[in-house]
Amino acid sequence: MIHLKVQISRFNPQGDLKPHTKQYAVDVNEGARILNVLQAIQSQDPTLSFRSSCRAGQCGSCAVRVNGEPKLACMAEATDRMLIEPLDLPVIKDLVVELVPGINSIPRIHPCDCHDIPDPAQIARLKPLRDCIECLSCVSACPAMKVTDFIGPTSMRAQMRIALDPRETESRIRDAIAQGLFTCTSCQRCRVVCPKEIEIPGKAIEKLREIANREGLTLPRHQAVADLVKRTGRSVETSDKTFLDQVPDIIEPFGEVKGEVGFFVGCMFNGRLPERALDLLEVMKRVGIRVIIPKDQICCGSPLIRTGQTSFLDEIKEKNIRAFTSRGITTVMTMCAGCGSTLKHDYETPFTVKDVTEILTEIKIPLPARLGEIVTYHDPCHLMNGQGISEQPRELIRRVAGSFVEMPAQCCGSGGGVRSGLPEEAAALGELRRSAIEATGADSVITICPFCEYHIQEHTDKPVKNLMTLLLEGYRKKEAQ
Amino acid sequence: MKVREIISSHVLVIGSGGAGVRAAIEASTHGECVLVSKTIAGKGGCTIMAEGGYNAVLNCDDKTDDHFADTMKGGAFLNNPELVRTLVTESPERIRDLLSWGAVFDVTGECSLAQRPFGGQCFPRTCFAGDRTGHEMMITLMDRLAATEVRICHEVTIISLLCEGGRVIGAAGLDRNGELIEFLADAVVLATGGGTRVYDISTNSTSGTGDGYAMGFRAGAELIDMEQVQFHPTGAVYPWDARGRLVTEAVRGEGGVLKNALGERFMTRYDPQRMELSTRDVVARAAATEIREGRGTPHGGVWLDISHRSPEDIETRLPTMLEQFLMFGVDIRKEPMEVAPTAHHIMGGLRIDRECRTTVPGLFACGEVAGGVHGANRLGGNALAETQVFGRRAGDSAGKEPVREKNLNDSAIQLVIRDLKEFSEGQTPAREIRTRLQEAMWNGAGIFRNKGALQHTLNEIDSLDQVRMKATIPEEYAECCIVKNMLTTARLIVRSALTREESRGAHVRTDITQDWDNASSPFGHTHISQKDVSIEHREGA
Repeated sequence: MIHLKVQISRFNPQGDLKPHTKQYAVDVNEGARILNVLQAIQSQDPTLSFRSSCRAGQCGSCAVRVNGEPKLACMAEATDRMLIEPLDLPVIKDLVVELVPGINSIPRIHPCDCHDIPDPAQIARLKPLRDCIECLSCVSACPAMKVTDFIGPTSMRAQMRIALDPRETESRIRDAIAQGLFTCTSCQRCRVVCPKEIEIPGKAIEKLREIANREGLTLPRHQAVADLVKRTGRSVETSDKTFLDQVPDIIEPFGEVKGEVGFFVGCMFNGRLPERALDLLEVMKRVGIRVIIPKDQICCGSPLIRTGQTSFLDEIKEKNIRAFTSRGITTVMTMCAGCGSTLKHDYETPFTVKDVTEILTEIKIPLPARLGEIVTYHDPCHLMNGQGISEQPRELIRRVAGSFVEMPAQCCGSGGGVRSGLPEEAAALGELRRSAIEATGADSVITICPFCEYHIQEHTDKPVKNLMTLLLEGYRKKEAQ
Repeated sequence: MKVREIISSHVLVIGSGGAGVRAAIEASTHGECVLVSKTIAGKGGCTIMAEGGYNAVLNCDDKTDDHFADTMKGGAFLNNPELVRTLVTESPERIRDLLSWGAVFDVTGECSLAQRPFGGQCFPRTCFAGDRTGHEMMITLMDRLAATEVRICHEVTIISLLCEGGRVIGAAGLDRNGELIEFLADAVVLATGGGTRVYDISTNSTSGTGDGYAMGFRAGAELIDMEQVQFHPTGAVYPWDARGRLVTEAVRGEGGVLKNALGERFMTRYDPQRMELSTRDVVARAAATEIREGRGTPHGGVWLDISHRSPEDIETRLPTMLEQFLMFGVDIRKEPMEVAPTAHHIMGGLRIDRECRTTVPGLFACGEVAGGVHGANRLGGNALAETQVFGRRAGDSAGKEPVREKNLNDSAIQLVIRDLKEFSEGQTPAREIRTRLQEAMWNGAGIFRNKGALQHTLNEIDSLDQVRMKATIPEEYAECCIVKNMLTTARLIVRSALTREESRGAHVRTDITQDWDNASSPFGHTHISQKDVSIEHREGA
């Protein structure tokens, strides 16, 4: 037996004005799941309400938030000091939420009365979308649903399943657009929280946007971005001198060479925020990394992939891969979270792709001086969810910041083409970041995604700094001492 | 306490697994249909959890006569032949319904449904969707249900059938707040699934508590073969709270082998012809014997090993199993699973005819709660087929019942209210009774049975039934009613087991020596109702 203390959100609409947290202590068997803990607590306190049914991860009844993350109570292992809350949906009582309206809103197939069945290739595309157990964890986690009328991730999964099925009688793409297809910010939260690991952003949202594109329904602003990429190889208009205009092909470190990387810059750092990328090079000189910068690299294609405009994507990929392989580069470093996620997941590269924070935490970098300010960190979606990187930037921040205050991760709204296509939604999400930043009391906000940096700066009075800029400030302070 | 709401319809379907939803779809073509689900509709029962597959003769090299013969043989010839003939004949058409409604089953390169071998069958006739076949069926049925006018009552626990003049006219249920709802209907379909949660270790979901058997019995219906409880050979044994979780027969269908702690492939001792693909009763007894005789694994199971298949095959064909065991630290691509028998399915149930009528007018039954299709042992893949074949039949027959004038049955509902009020005056939490019952059933009426242990278990059940259960809050009324139903269901199982003085299929009496085999047994069905309990003697035996 193991002894656990847990906090549970309690709420009874027939008596409580708002939820409150209650602490319980229970003894459970080794290896107990959260559901077993809830059952043990209910035997002490019969008023506790929660759902369960299959106890095997197959019906989706028992999803709750555990330390803020949606999980199936029957499958997630219980740990000490958990906070268990209902999904972020209207609460009926305690951990029981309104699931039926969300499930009922999921689009349903209207098959023709034929006897065709899908062929093996069609089945292979359909099956990954069929695993959904309608637990609504993705609905709970979706930031777009909090500020728009977006019907939700699992409904987009259903729309894509319908689009792929040869038995369906009509096109639903206009419905999908009306239901918020373009409101998805590609933050990847739905994939991360899905107990069945369904890749809704890549296998549903982006594919539906491709269908929309083929039917001439792409948002005009997205089309303008694609035209720009086609014409210039870049997804943003440049401000002045680009990063690539200002740097030589190879940057040598000040001292001993400890490693070598190719640098994939990305459009935003190249054309809008070149000073951030220049700061990165200054950091690299000080930590011993040689940086090779192919000048013929272009947009990674992420703005095209996210918006479903993939007709010339292969040419882009080929050109970028050749830019690095022709120089014999075996490790490509990215600084832009979106480029890194794209190179890692949407490309098949002969070289290894690593984010700059991965590289800097893998080698033993010299200690910078500690700065005086209090900082908080905004997790970029394409870094945390897209690449699974959240600890590395924190490790770097802790070496240089005066003090570090955590802030709950939440999409800022700048991704997935939303900032260009639906700026009001992006602004609404940005305002949520403003509130979260103010709650931390921090002097400045650190992030490392150029889209996040640019967008959040428009929605906070605090300075938003790139992590590389922060590190460089630490090194310069040390050199001055 | 009073009735919060009265809901009237032409047909009332109780239960939202595969059989219930199929019945509701069909009934709705005849008139107003209400579907009541103890959970959110579609999420309860065992269909959503069923992994292995759906049996249907689709290949021109297979024959319905062979499916019939396999089912009768697997059922130790205790099955009702008429029901089996209906099952094997109509199963192919019912899976075509599912396909026309959008079901996504695995297919072969020739664009026909893929079919895999399952225990006790002479041909690979089990259609599947990876190892989540029941889930695929369930979401397809819910899509189809959404296109009907069926009114769904989510999260209402039916606690009693309402009768008038010997006829079932509706039911009483409790919502999640413990408030009473009265349902009136011209016909009632019980599709409440199984009841092996009366055992300590069970594959069933939380709703597998046998409510339908108990309510049908109290309404006067006759049940058959309730002693025939199938223990699935392979359930999880570790960690403690995961005990009983099903390890699908598809693992053995895909080539998984069973070994004892000595590394012996022990099925050679029990069924050298069919080995791991023998029928479930044989494999379950084999595993239980190995464990009992000291050749069990560290946590009291046997090994089930699929690691000789390629990782790609396992990832494609057994993704649910792979995921579930990874969650508990076992990678079945590299290492064996530790498994043991787990209570799984009740072959017996309410006696029905081909039209799914029970012995009480106005009451129909389909799915696991109905008896007679599987006899003494169920073949894997036949249960999902049964839900569709007999679900449709039950819905159709119920829908064709004549419309009647519905009168409020105040005396029946007052009995329900009186019973509920008694729970306010009890002393013992329902879960204590539940736990003690489950232990008693596991120890005394499990895989190997004898008269002494069965009688002792029956005495224990009677004692537990005398304990007054306590509901401290209205939400607990439902749990008290459920435990009462569990006690009734357990009593039906044990009394039937005492009555069948032979070993037949899943039912093994270690205290009886017999000189006949299944085909020549002198006994037919056991019958149990409020009037009596008896066993048929077959002519010419």
